[in-house]
Amino acid sequence: MRSPWRAGPERSRPRPEAVLRLAVRTFSELCLTVGTVILLFVAYVLWWTGVTADRAMDAELAGLHERWERTAPAPPAPQAGAPPQAVRHPAGRAFAEMFVPRFGAGWRKPVLEGTDPDTLKRGLGHYRGTAAPGGTGNFAVAGHRRTHGDPFKDFPRLRPGDQVILKDPAGTYTYTVRTGPVRTLPTDVAVLDPVPVKSGFTGPGRYLTLTTCDPEWGHSHRLIVWAELAETRPARQASP
Amino acid sequence: MYGWIWRHLPGNAWVRALISLVLVLAVVFVLFQYVFPWAEPLLPFNDVTVDEGSGATR
Repeated sequence: MRSPWRAGPERSRPRPEAVLRLAVRTFSELCLTVGTVILLFVAYVLWWTGVTADRAMDAELAGLHERWERTAPAPPAPQAGAPPQAVRHPAGRAFAEMFVPRFGAGWRKPVLEGTDPDTLKRGLGHYRGTAAPGGTGNFAVAGHRRTHGDPFKDFPRLRPGDQVILKDPAGTYTYTVRTGPVRTLPTDVAVLDPVPVKSGFTGPGRYLTLTTCDPEWGHSHRLIVWAELAETRPARQASP
Repeated sequence: MYGWIWRHLPGNAWVRALISLVLVLAVVFVLFQYVFPWAEPLLPFNDVTVDEGSGATR
């Protein structure tokens, strides 16, 4: 199409309409394009991140189990007195498996070291520097409530008495929810303390903290649940 | 815009339709693979941790 403004004076009569038509058409095509991209983005956030996250979490679990089977004789489960704090996992590495019966019988997710966005796309994130599974202190874990597989979608349905079960090569740790869900501010890092003030725990113990975002699709607050270790079952000792 | 692209594609209508389809799929792929993963952390759904400021997960 020739540039409208280069037209000679004898052809100037139909030009303004042509310009207008071109402008309107281009504008509506742009609008349609932007709308389509936005719809695609919604599909990406709501659906595709879940597909990739589910795939990644399954891969993490499979890798975890494979690694556990290769390194057969598990170290003894930490008993009272033995500080299990010593184990340091590389960032982004899965090291435990979590079950929450309240979230459904099939709900099992890998727990990875660290809480970077990339880590949280592949499972739940263990806050660096907090306690080890079953250890004295506070084992703190963050997870997505929405998008990336929605692992903590049913977080608000947790109630005191619910079980949170952790499994690692050393054993199985069953925690019982004591407090929550509690709404707090994103800056409230005291919820991760070895003895969190708002949790109602009064002395040192073996605690677990779960965090996710609140409201469901927002980020102005966080939801917190605190649990306390109820039972430790050491893994069956493999014969040498 | 789309008319301009259509006029500049080679071949007859079928070939052009095929090329258009490939172009659309390529655009969707680039969006899902590169553009959306970049844009997604700008939304609030990633903020699930407590930390100083809102840093650790953006």
